Amino acid sequence: MRFRTQIANASIFSKLTASLSSLGKVCWMRLEKDFIRFTIIPDQGTQVWAQLPIDTIFEEESYICESNTGAINLEVPIGALHRALRSAVSAKLSNLRLTKKGNVPLLALTIRATSWTTTSNALDIPETAAATDHSSSTIDNSTTTTTARPSGTGPRERETVITQEIPIKVLHESAVEGLHQPRCRDPDVNILLPSLIQLKSISERFTKLATTNSSNKTSSAATAGGATSTTPSLSSPKLELSANMHGSLKVAVGTDAFRISSVWTDLLNPSLDPGQLDEGRELGQLPSERMREVPADDEAGWAKVRIDGKDWSRILSVGRLNPRVVASFINETALVLYVFLPGSWNEQDSCLTYYITSYAV
Amino acid sequence: MTTLSFSLAPKAIYQLHDALMCLAKFDDSVAIEAEIDLLRLSVLNSTKTAYSAFVFEADGFFENYSFGRVSNGSSSRTAHPEKFSCQVLIKALLSAFKGKTSGRDKDTSVERCEVELQEDLDESECRLVIRLICGLGVIKLYKLTYEPIHVQHAIFDRSKATNEWSIEPKYLKEITDHFGPSAEHLDIYSEQGKAVFTSFTTKSSDGKEILRQPVHTSVAIEKRDFDYYLAEDHLHVAIHMKDFKAAIAHAETANAKITARFTRPSRPLQFAYESEGIKTEFTLMTRGDSPGEDAPGSSRAAPQLSARQTPAPVQISQRNTAPETAQMPPPRSRSIRPLTGTSTRASQSNTETQQPPPSMEFDSLFVPADDDRQWDVPNDEDEGPVEDELGWDATGEQTSTGPGLRDIEPRMAQTSHEEEEMGIPPTQRMSQLHGLGLFD
Repeated sequence: MRFRTQIANASIFSKLTASLSSLGKVCWMRLEKDFIRFTIIPDQGTQVWAQLPIDTIFEEESYICESNTGAINLEVPIGALHRALRSAVSAKLSNLRLTKKGNVPLLALTIRATSWTTTSNALDIPETAAATDHSSSTIDNSTTTTTARPSGTGPRERETVITQEIPIKVLHESAVEGLHQPRCRDPDVNILLPSLIQLKSISERFTKLATTNSSNKTSSAATAGGATSTTPSLSSPKLELSANMHGSLKVAVGTDAFRISSVWTDLLNPSLDPGQLDEGRELGQLPSERMREVPADDEAGWAKVRIDGKDWSRILSVGRLNPRVVASFINETALVLYVFLPGSWNEQDSCLTYYITSYAV
Repeated sequence: MTTLSFSLAPKAIYQLHDALMCLAKFDDSVAIEAEIDLLRLSVLNSTKTAYSAFVFEADGFFENYSFGRVSNGSSSRTAHPEKFSCQVLIKALLSAFKGKTSGRDKDTSVERCEVELQEDLDESECRLVIRLICGLGVIKLYKLTYEPIHVQHAIFDRSKATNEWSIEPKYLKEITDHFGPSAEHLDIYSEQGKAVFTSFTTKSSDGKEILRQPVHTSVAIEKRDFDYYLAEDHLHVAIHMKDFKAAIAHAETANAKITARFTRPSRPLQFAYESEGIKTEFTLMTRGDSPGEDAPGSSRAAPQLSARQTPAPVQISQRNTAPETAQMPPPRSRSIRPLTGTSTRASQSNTETQQPPPSMEFDSLFVPADDDRQWDVPNDEDEGPVEDELGWDATGEQTSTGPGLRDIEPRMAQTSHEEEEMGIPPTQRMSQLHGLGLFD
């Protein structure tokens, strides 16, 4: 089993791991010949299935992935990986490989970072003096200082080599066989989300409003009794997201005291590529196309889901990758986000899929 | 009687604040020592593995500085008549000496600071008085309590240090940026023209907890980045990351080149620098492999280091002779605690173990001359420390009892003698009670 590569795009890699680490601590990383997959399946909350072509983050020429089964499956502490990658973002050269220390398998990240000095190094010691004469290199032995080279003064390039060793687990193929993406029915509404930073700030404001309001109300609601609808929302308020096939997206939150919503219009409703359809089905039969027939002013044309406000905020942190996001609404059931990274050769190939289950009313 | 007073310009206040912030990372209280030409703030951490000291020169740092000591009969108890020392909570000092950032209101920002020690043994109130003179006639007055103390210094003989390097702190700061927040220790060595800094954490490495294990980070910089690097190659020394970070953080704010001096692992390492009338030093205990052991990869050295966590410091206390041992004892060594005097007390109690504790007054109040008191566990616990500190001085004088009990003391003394004559020894020696953690 061998895996070694140079990192071509540490910035994207770092941002990707940052987004993933907000959703779970442990990431299943699957390395294949042409693709890398990152999967996060937390005990509770949103699942992420990401598939990237090698060249999105790694340098294809240097990519070596050898395994009997054709794939290497790793369990990676994604937060630690992200922290380690931060050192690589501004580096000239970074190298990632699978290795072992004792019995502990590691992902070893070696980074060569360079910078320019401005200070003059007047007392530069030549490496030879220090390297050859270990035993007698005491403080008194200051004769070396007289042999300072001309390169020691003025700006020069300095190099720092950083090694980050992240302990990981290597998973056997049998351990991951049972894992598969969630299956769900065809979506009712597909819509291209607006700017994620805008969506995120508005959603967070709503969440905060509802949190402060409900925390004041919690005690009174509890005594009132019979308020079954408020009981599951004790942890964090639930945002209502809804969209129709006429380019409208609505984010709303409601408490006993108020109800507030924000609507985007003139968004794009992408159609499904007919080639992706299963055998014997036609585009017109899809629920989303039927929803397209419903007039824009009809409530029936909206598909709605309820999502935990904090979870939604963590999901939207993927916005740092500056992606295009298509949201697929399955009415009252789930929301699936297809996150397409920019700049890759084929956007369809590099896709992060978020599966978010809707809360009941 | 001591007279100490000095005044500070605003810039010096900020510098003092920075120093206190740095010292606060080692322990809660700072030892202040005043001498004729300097003021020293120092902290020895609770495990006695790290010592940091800031020496402020009377001429270079202060606007005015005056220190005097009038020797009379009552003050002859001090061993150093030319020196005054006390201990103050750092938090209390920090509330007075605020940093640059806190000066939000321009009009009433600090213009001058006057500090005066009010120590008069005839007065009931001894205080360290800090007077901050601010704009618009605002005067802030702080009166802080202090504690007399025998200050312990870590002794470090610079002339005997065989390894030394000096570097801009910003390069070290860059290095620490790469380390994870949970990194506990730092290993430093050099090879092939590079100095390598490796973080490691001494945690149990259970197989199932692999993913929880800390990331090992090692950062190699060229020796050229140092002003000079005169240290043996392949010599690993390890220190606490926290102490290292505290030292370089302050060195960076002081904008002073930091110099490290050390001899070998398990001997102290000292970081030192000076700027603008302030001399700073951090003396840190190191651990690591002795030179000569082959450890080419920093990563491989780490497990070996971790196995030596406690043995290493203990070795030094045995190997070294008097002065250094006293100043830099091993962590958690209960036998060397001069401040509380545990060791002397322990030896006293050993000599008297055949006698029952003579102080039974408190019990006698309720059940006089009753053997049951021996079994009275809660009372033993409550009064234990009092006995241990005051009652075991072998003089037999019971001067330390509470005031409310004075009038019946003679009777109690009698009963205690009767008790001894009855010849029933206690079931447990007082010295054994140390194991219960009462006197920790």
